[in-house]
This record gives sequence, C-alpha cells and structure tokens, in this order.
Amino acid sequence: MRKLCGVFVALFILIAATNAQELYIFSGAVSDNDDNVLPGASVVLSTGNKGTVTDADGRFYFSNLEAGTYFINVSFVGYKTFRDTLKIRSNQNVDIKLQPSVMTLHEVVVEDNYAQKQKREDSRNIEVINDRFVKMNLSGSLMKSLERLPGVSTIDIGSGQSKPLIRGLGFNRIVVVENGIKHEGQQWGEDHGLEIDQYAVDRVEVVKGPASLMYGSDAIGGVIDIKQLGVPAENSYGGSVDLTGKNNNNLVGTSIDVFARKKAFYYTGRVTLLDFADYRVPTDSVDIYSYKAALYKNYLRNTAGNEQNFHFSFGAIGQRFTTRFYFSDLHSRNGFFANAHGLEPRNVDTALHDRSNRDIQYPYQEVNHLKITNQSEWHGNKLNVEMELGFQNNFRQEWSKYVSHGYMPANFPDTISFNPDLEREFDKDVYSGNLKVSFEPVENLSLTAGIINEFQNNNIGGRGFIIPAFTQFATGTFLYGKYYLSSNSILQAGLRFDYGTINTKAYSDWFTSPVATDDTTGSYLQRSPKIARSFNNISWSVGFNQNWEKVILKANIGRSFRIPIAKELAANGVNYHRFSYEVGDPDLSAEVSYQLDLGGEYNSGNFAIGISPFVNYFPNYIFLNPTSEHDRLYGNGNQVFYYTQSEVLRFGGEIHAHYRMFNPLTVGMIGEYVYSKQISGEKKGFTLPFSPPASLLFNAKYLKENLGWFRNPYFSIDYKLVGRQNRIVPPEENTAGYQLVNLSLGGDIRLRTQKISLAFQIQNLFNRKYFNHTSYYRLINVPEAGRNFVLNVNIPFNKN
Amino acid sequence: MKTLKILLGLSIVLFVFTTCSDDDIDDEKPEIDLTISGAFPLNCDTLYFGETFTLKMLFTDNAELGSYNIDIHNNFNHHSHTTEITECTMDEAKEAVNAYVSIDDYDIPEGLDAYEVSEEITIPDSDSDGEFDEGDYHFFISLVDKEGWSVQKGLSIKILRR
Repeated sequence: MRKLCGVFVALFILIAATNAQELYIFSGAVSDNDDNVLPGASVVLSTGNKGTVTDADGRFYFSNLEAGTYFINVSFVGYKTFRDTLKIRSNQNVDIKLQPSVMTLHEVVVEDNYAQKQKREDSRNIEVINDRFVKMNLSGSLMKSLERLPGVSTIDIGSGQSKPLIRGLGFNRIVVVENGIKHEGQQWGEDHGLEIDQYAVDRVEVVKGPASLMYGSDAIGGVIDIKQLGVPAENSYGGSVDLTGKNNNNLVGTSIDVFARKKAFYYTGRVTLLDFADYRVPTDSVDIYSYKAALYKNYLRNTAGNEQNFHFSFGAIGQRFTTRFYFSDLHSRNGFFANAHGLEPRNVDTALHDRSNRDIQYPYQEVNHLKITNQSEWHGNKLNVEMELGFQNNFRQEWSKYVSHGYMPANFPDTISFNPDLEREFDKDVYSGNLKVSFEPVENLSLTAGIINEFQNNNIGGRGFIIPAFTQFATGTFLYGKYYLSSNSILQAGLRFDYGTINTKAYSDWFTSPVATDDTTGSYLQRSPKIARSFNNISWSVGFNQNWEKVILKANIGRSFRIPIAKELAANGVNYHRFSYEVGDPDLSAEVSYQLDLGGEYNSGNFAIGISPFVNYFPNYIFLNPTSEHDRLYGNGNQVFYYTQSEVLRFGGEIHAHYRMFNPLTVGMIGEYVYSKQISGEKKGFTLPFSPPASLLFNAKYLKENLGWFRNPYFSIDYKLVGRQNRIVPPEENTAGYQLVNLSLGGDIRLRTQKISLAFQIQNLFNRKYFNHTSYYRLINVPEAGRNFVLNVNIPFNKN
Repeated sequence: MKTLKILLGLSIVLFVFTTCSDDDIDDEKPEIDLTISGAFPLNCDTLYFGETFTLKMLFTDNAELGSYNIDIHNNFNHHSHTTEITECTMDEAKEAVNAYVSIDDYDIPEGLDAYEVSEEITIPDSDSDGEFDEGDYHFFISLVDKEGWSVQKGLSIKILRR
C-alpha cells in the first residue's frame, strides 16, 4: 500500500438501505501511519457540536446524526490535527490516520484522498499535487516543477522564471490564485515570471479549462490554485530547513520555516533565499537573427539571478471560526541574456559579462511582490461562511543601458526625471475582497453563493512605452449548486454575473518625433488616449459526475469570459523584444469561450487509465495579428501588429495510464495534445501563438516502504518524447521534436532520531540540445538547459 | 503485458494523429538577397552625406511580398552588431553630437513574389542643429510578406563626408 504523504484517509461509504430523514451512525478508527491505534484522540463534529474521545481500540462512534455536511476535527498530542468536511447521507465508517507532528509541517495535507475526492466530486478536469510532488520535481520555478502534469506547460524566461500554459493558453487567460486571492502581477508580459515561492506551497490544484464561474474574468483557459494549508498541531512548535543545490546554474538555496501553536493561536514563518549563476546550454554559440553570438564556456551570458522571499502567517483555529493572516514579500532580480535584449543582437562587453557568471549586469529585471491577505471561515450548523481580503503590490523594473531607438535622442537629455537606464517600470496596487456562503437548503443539495471584488491601480515609468497606466475594477456574483441525484451521481450547475471597468490614462512620448517628413522641430506623439470601457458578462457551467467503484465519468460544459487588458486596448509602441510595433484596439469586446470537457477514468488498483478530451470555441479570441505593414512614425520602422478578434476552435486532451507490474514497480505514461485553429479573420487557418507540441511521457517508478536505511525510497525515470511543432504563426519558428530523460530518486533517512529527506534529480540526463517551442528565448535559437543535477535536503527540527 | 500493448498502441495513435499537418497556409518567410550583381549597400560599405545612392537588392517570397523598411541609425557606441558574418573595422567609440537618423517604409507593388529594389535614397548633409556626425552607422532592412512573416538584415556601414 502506498503511504505517500502521511495522513491518509480511506472512506468506505456504506450505502444505507434507508433514505430521507433517517438518523445515521458515523463511526471510525484513528491510527497512526504505522497502523498503531490511538486511544484517547479527540474527535469533534462541529455541525451539531458533538465530541468524543477514541476508546482503547482507537475507535469512535456518533449516532443519531441527521443527514448533512459535517466538519470533522481529530486531534491527538504528538500528531497533527486532522480536519476535513464530510457529507453524511448514510451510515459511515471512516479510518483516519494521523501524521506525527515530528514530520514537516507541510506534509499534513490529506493528499491522495483529497485528489481522489476532487476527481470524483468535480465535473471539471482537475489535477491536484502536494509539496512532496514539488520537491520531487523541483525545478527553477513553481510552474516549471508543475510542467510534468498532463496538460500543463510553461513559457520560460531563463532558468528561474516561468509562466503557466494550460492546454496552450497562458498570460491573462490563466488565473493564479493563492489562498483564495487572485495573484496579480504583470502577467501579460512574455518575460514576466510568476511571483510565487515554490517552497511555500502545500497544495496546488490545476483546473484545466474555463473556470470563470468560480474565478471570474481571465479564468478562460484554466486556474492554478495554490494553497498554504499547514496548521501546526496544538501545543507544538518546530520547523524545518530545506537546502537546495543545482549544478547547471550553480544554484544554492535554502528555505527555513518555523511554526508554533498554543491552543487556538498559531504562527508560521518562512525565509527562502536563492542565488544562481548564468545557466549553461549544450552549445557554443546561438544564432540571433542570423548573427552568431559566441557563448563563453556554454554560459548563457547574464542569466544569473537571486530571490529573497519572506512569509509570515498567524491565525486562530476554533471549533466554528478560523482566521488566518498571510504576509509575504517576494523579491527577485533576474538577468536577461545580454546578447538578445532590444532590437538587434548586441555586441556585449564580453570582458565585463564573462568576468563572473554570478553577477547580474544590464539588462535585468527586478521584481518585488508584497501580499497581505486574510482568509476566515465560520462553520455554523447549516451554514458555512468564507471571507477573503487581500492587498498586493507588484513593483517591477526592467533595466538596460540607454540606447536610442527610432527617434529617441542619441544622448539622453538631463531634463528628464527618470533614470535613462530604466527601460520600464510598473507599479501595481491590487485590493481584493471575496465573500462566499454555502448551505444546504434541502436534502442532497448544497449551494454556494459568492461575491468577488477586485480593484487595480497600475502606474508606469521608464523610457519605454508598452502599456498605459490604468485603473481596473471588477465585481462578480455567483450561485453554484451541487445536487446528489444518488450517492454516486452528482449534478452541478452555476451561474455568474460580472461587471468590470477599465480606465486607461493618456500617454505621450518624452521625446519628439518628426511628424511630417521635412519637420525639423518635431512634436511629442500621443501614444495612447484616455480610454474608459465597461463590460458585462454572464458565465455559466453545467456538469455531471457518475462514479462507480472502478470507473469515474464526467462531463462539463460552460461559458467563460475575459475582459480585455490595458495592453490589448491601448498598446501603441514598439515591443523591443521582437521587431514589432503593437497597436491596441480600444473597441475590443470581452473575450468569450465555450468549452465541453469530458473525463473518464478506470482504476482497478493495479491498472488505471484516464482520458480527458475537450472541445473549445472562442467566438472572438483576442489575437495580436502581424501585418505586412511597417510604421515609420509610431513604430520606429517596425512591422505593425494589430490586436484583432477572430473565431478560434481548439480541441485536444490528455491521457494518462499506469500499471503496477509487481509490487514496488509501476510503469505509466502521460500524453497531451492540443490543436488550435483560427477559423476566421486575417490569420484564418493559422494556429495560436505558443502552441505546445504534442508530448508523451513514459515513466517507471520504484517505490517501497523500506529499503535498508531508507524509508519511503523512490527511484523514478521519465522518458519524454515531444513532437515537432510546425503549426506556427509569425514571427514563430518551426521547432523540431526531441527526446529527454530525467531521473529522480530519494527517500528519508534517520540519523538517531533526526529524520532527513533527500530528493535528487538529474534533468536532461544525456545533455541533449533541444529547443522548447514555448520558451521566450526560442526565437533567438537558445536551446534549453543542459544536464542538471538537483539535490534537495529537508531537515525537520520539530518538538511538541 | 496486454495493458502495455494497449498503452503502446494508444501512444502510436496519438503520435500519428499529432504529426499530420493539414492546412494550406503560407508559413514561409520572405528573403533578402544581397548576392545579386550590383547589390548595394553591402556590409562595410560607405555612404556619403549630401549624396544620393541607389538601394539595390532582391526580395523574394513563396507567396506575396508586403512592404519593407530602411532604418539608418548611429552605432557610435558599438551597441549592436551586424547580421553579416564579415566584421568591419570600426572607428573609435564616441558620443553622438548630431547623429543622423532615418526611418522610412516603402511599399512593394501588389501581387509580386519577387521584387528587385532600385530605390534612390538621399542622405542630407545637415539639419537645423548643424552637420550630421560622420562615423559608424547601422543600415537596417526589414522585409515583411503579405501574411506577416518578416526577416531582418542589419549591415554595418560608415557615413562620411567627401
């Protein structure tokens, strides 16, 4: 039996012969990981406020329970408190395993069971992973570590930053949620990573498909829902140290967390520090727009970076009321590949850049993300209330040496207030407030109603113009219902109304341009006028789940939407990463998407197979269309790209299977494929930008409970086959297919009483040179990172 | 073993399915040909202030050409490099006083898949701020086809005064 993440709950639902207003029995047993019974554990059912302690055999028993939703809380000294919600509509017997609190705080999640439950109860296609998955697949960033999931890929910027792509959709078409609050940075930018500390993640749920119903505008392509759930056991304190090293970019990193809890009150804190050098690629030179830039000792010049993240959370856990405050401040500085920033391949000062591969020279970006959120829940007898409040500040600066492009003055004038080397600056404040109420008005029906609000204020600075300053407000109200047609079939439906406004500020150049051909004085061009738009939308979703013992079937159909962003409405400038002059359209309509999702899974224990196909239609996908024009005045002579809308049809899906050949050895495979086609507009017949190629991953995994000194040892080999991508849009390049082998192994060892968890990986075992179609550096022919050894050591130092 | 066969079969089906290409769309970039006889300017060539030169090169595309742009700007600080392999000898790096800048886009007659450019371009000697600076310049050509595929060519040139 797998014992993956500590606490493990098996729910055996006994189908009662009786029905309706009967009274039920809820019983079970509490034990630890090694099946030792735990007598005297406290078991509390919060709806109805019933409590008991387990008997000498670790058993507990509640009778005369009405059907309904109950909140269960099991605690025992030395073990982590177990909390879960359960639906009682028949007599139930539950086995609960408590995890000793001497393990790390972050292993508390009831992972396998939760993932299974989500799959059974949610009609959308969902992937759930925990912190252990992140550690086993630890990569340069959280998204890169999640890339192994079917349907998930990334757009990478160097070795430390990447942004999510779900089934080929990314940027503002994916919502990232952290502790209930939508994460807002500058997600429209190709070179902007996601400001999330992957060491501080307990659980990630990936919703593959439109989810505007629950998450609002932007959740048109999917959702990455990140949770920090870990709450220490009562009267405990402790922490852990993570040490990480990588040889490819010589990364050294540590993440240290501490926690303590008296009775109700707790706090946790974490500091993560990472420092990495330029990364190495298996090539001597790269071909940038037919200019060959030599690389010094395979180092991709100036891609070093560092990260300093601080987290603090505290709160109170009560029988009915729980409140948690999270404070985090993430700071990172990342160099850009020096030869390829700006319009032309750069003749960099190699003496300066190659002196050290750890320093960060121009060009680089520096990002600070501050987040303060509160998440509170109140569990009543018939009613649960959840509230989330948040404030975020995202401050991003992009620095590079001043070079005049187009009509910018050759020498920077000293009358301008900003630093000439400040290329761009974005300063965004975001205020969020959500309220959700869930209740059961009648038997077998649960309803959730909510209201979600967000206000953004975005200021800009620096010498380059790409998006104007703007303010944005969005509010949405939804009602979502789940009806149990029978104990194994669930119907779910929801309706949502959204209203949003976006107001952009006017922007004029800080330098003059010759408006007419023989104009010698020039004038300050207005790049973007003041724009005020408002949008309404109705989203809906209907889904159905049918669960048998070995088979799960699900279907979901829904409508999602996205309000155009400031860049799409008001862009009017040169994108200095490409030879493009991008022009917004202030009259764009809100993007709408209809999607049908199906899911089927067969699981007989030793063999499992699942498929999740989808069909998706956009009547008005917002597409940045490259044209055959050039523009002299506004575009500095670059090719003109206009934001347009076109109909888009997409389909595809994922397939996964695993087969346990004999006890410790399991083989499996994951396949993913997306096909996108514009079916109207200027680029009819073309695909969408950043279309991920088809891929197949074969895996063999050896997993045991004990092997000599090791506990929970694992050895896993991934063989990934990625197809070529010839379906491209200008200015993309065809990308050849490739094969990749990754190894990972690890386990826990004990030095006296001290547990140490080791996770070791070799990424790109054969040091293959290959190109990732969705990499930011693909266009300038930079291959992906070469062989990389990654070691993560986790040392918990907990006490009760 | 049977299940392994199923897995293998499914993966083959998926792969065959995905590697088929269907649409008849233009996915080829245009080309700038500087090898035709009399092509001008070439890398390391010199232009002169106050004079007119004839731009001569061949543009080709598999379907239809769109437009092109010529951008001339200073390279006094050696900020960037040519896309040609040959290296030119550069003057000493210097600060611009009154650097010459020219950005102009040109149409290509409709319906052509090959077009030999023969465009007379005059470089003025001065503007209201005085004479333009002599020295290293960039001569940057960008060509786009009708579908939006683009290609760029950067040449290192000198602009001097006779």
